[in-house]
Amino acid sequence: MPKVKKKRMGFVIDMTPLVDITFLLLTFLMFTAKFKSEAENEQQFTIKRPYATPDTTKLPERDLAIISIAVDDKNPLDTSFYFSMTNLNDKARVWELAEVPAEYSNLALVKVDSLMLSKLIRSTLAVRNTTKFALDADKEIPFKWVSQAMDIMRLQRAFIFNFVTEKRKASETKESE
Amino acid sequence: MAGGGGGLGKPERAKRGKHSKRKKKKRIGFHLDMTPLVDITFLLLTFFMFTTTMLKPQIMEMRIPPERYEKVEVRESELFTIMLMPDNKIYWYAGQAREDNKPEEIPLNKLRALAEQQNLKPNVRNRLITVLKIADQAKYEKVIQILDELNLAEINITEQLSKDLDAEGQPVKRQRKFTIATLSETDDDFKLIQGVK
Repeated sequence: MPKVKKKRMGFVIDMTPLVDITFLLLTFLMFTAKFKSEAENEQQFTIKRPYATPDTTKLPERDLAIISIAVDDKNPLDTSFYFSMTNLNDKARVWELAEVPAEYSNLALVKVDSLMLSKLIRSTLAVRNTTKFALDADKEIPFKWVSQAMDIMRLQRAFIFNFVTEKRKASETKESE
Repeated sequence: MAGGGGGLGKPERAKRGKHSKRKKKKRIGFHLDMTPLVDITFLLLTFFMFTTTMLKPQIMEMRIPPERYEKVEVRESELFTIMLMPDNKIYWYAGQAREDNKPEEIPLNKLRALAEQQNLKPNVRNRLITVLKIADQAKYEKVIQILDELNLAEINITEQLSKDLDAEGQPVKRQRKFTIATLSETDDDFKLIQGVK
């Protein structure tokens, strides 16, 4: 053995592949992350959506008006309609047109009664008639709320809308079959 | 080389200082201490991993017809009614509900097969009108489940119908006729179910 063995001082691991993959994941997650919208931040309720068969049609993000029907978290007897919009420019104009009371005008999500809801839907269509509507209701809600919202939409000539649903999981599919 | 070297760099150098006679190593490239970078990257990575939700809600499209007041006449045989009761039970009947044609209860998981069978009956093929009567107190979840089952039945129905040929020799296109109505306690069919119990 001609060479004298070097004394080992700890050891070195090549971390390059690890760092590579970490950066890749980090960039991916950073770009796909979507932060809570203002309306979601303001909401005082949680919606458990009903399950439906997996579908490729996802909730559109642009120019969407969401009618939520939910029970207030703090007050379980308080079921109500809520209205919010994803297009904030349109939102300001709709709020103005529908004469939302001044104290609510800064809110992204307003709690509305059926009269206000129909005003808001009418104004939404007046501002931009390609706006899509989504009906986002909690699965425990009695159907009369949904049917009331549908009647209001019909009267305001918003004939096409979407029910917001959650993907049905495999276990639940089995259960129903 | 990435992290690893960080903690070890210093003592190594100190040793080298002692044995100054040693030949200076030729520098190949340079060594960058990546430890802080990796630290922060991992921190961010874990943060984003825990906060991201991949599931995006999906949608079920509905089209409601404009309000119309003129009466439409339909043949009794072309009706297929599904009732969702206030206690979330599902009943169905074909045609008109009568004493001798009482609504029958059906579990949700058999609904798809029933819808397919009813829609493909030879005498009403592609002409059947599905009526969904929903009680005000029924759960919204059940309504969506029924609509979902009916949508799923549509796949098979459309496929079966496309095997038929119309007068011009083209495959028959599915024409879906569907209506949602409110089920009230004064309805005849509702009363019949009360009788069944």
